[in-house]
Amino acid sequence: MSADPWDILLTFTRLGLVSFGGANLPEIERVLVEQKGWITPQVLAGGFALGQLMPGPNMLAMTHYGFAAGGWWGALAATAGFYGPTALLSAAAMLAWQRLSRWRWLPPLRSALLPFGAGVLLAGALVLGRSSLHSWPAAVIAVAAFVLLQRTRVNAAVVVLGAAGLGALLGL
Amino acid sequence: MPAPALSPTAPDHPAQPQRPPTPLGLLQLFLGVALVGIGGGLPAHTRRALAARGWLTDAAFAEAFTLAQLIPGPNAVNLAAMVGAHLCGPRGAALAVAGILAPGLVAMLAVSVVTLGLPGGLPPTLQSALRGAACAALGLMLTAAVPVVQVALGVRGGAALMGATFLALAALKLDLLPVLAVVVAAGLLLNRPRSGE
Repeated sequence: MSADPWDILLTFTRLGLVSFGGANLPEIERVLVEQKGWITPQVLAGGFALGQLMPGPNMLAMTHYGFAAGGWWGALAATAGFYGPTALLSAAAMLAWQRLSRWRWLPPLRSALLPFGAGVLLAGALVLGRSSLHSWPAAVIAVAAFVLLQRTRVNAAVVVLGAAGLGALLGL
Repeated sequence: MPAPALSPTAPDHPAQPQRPPTPLGLLQLFLGVALVGIGGGLPAHTRRALAARGWLTDAAFAEAFTLAQLIPGPNAVNLAAMVGAHLCGPRGAALAVAGILAPGLVAMLAVSVVTLGLPGGLPPTLQSALRGAACAALGLMLTAAVPVVQVALGVRGGAALMGATFLALAALKLDLLPVLAVVVAAGLLLNRPRSGE
């Protein structure tokens, strides 16, 4: 089974345009797992974890999901669709910024988008938690990682790699 | 050699003997940012790299960063597109985005071929390792959520709108676009510009 690259491009374009601040996991799960059936919850969680280990933006998980859905062309279509249109929009917005900055509705717009973005982030954490926390050791690893990252300046990739080692040792 | 469209540095940053930003220079800068940014912190690395070259003041950076959060899509990539557009126009934006994406794209493709291409799926040890990594990724995601939630709680109606968004997406599993429309409309109404301000 291999999905049509054009379908992948359009689907990931839409996913990119409804993502604020990075991961919009609830929507990604709803579309890719439940609606399209392109990936399993395991691939969703695994890809997200792999994304943390890659150089660059952690949502490169999109490339992984695209590859799972449609091979090489799927990976390219997913990456171009997810990052391309929003990057274009960003460049255009920057070039229009001088005029926008004096617009009186800009601060209200920012205030309206912030709680929305926070709600999306929390719902995304729940999605990820549901697909990866199936045992007490798993929950302990997640809490320990949170505390370690919150309290110390240790590199996130080190924490993720350490957790991967622990997972292999414990046979999670 | 295309000349930069805008003067990148404020006049209060006098004559540093820096090379002016070029699209190729931006490609190089963002390749470097991507490589040191394994595990996150890309905006912080971007700010440092730009400051080191004297290409962008902190104030201009803060402006770009705020704007990058308002546009849908991953902040770090949006930021690269904006900085690139600001310093070198559309070509700068294109090469900045290419720079920040290329290393991870290559690495992720290689890993995907290995992890998804194995007949009979992943060996159990690797599956366990990936589960452990996913737990840490959840912890990482929560640390990224903390400042966002704090800022959102400081906004008028922030707690209610955040809670409503969370419930609509997580519990009711509603489509995101209608939720976005309703929550942002309510937020605009609550935070509308008052007369006399």
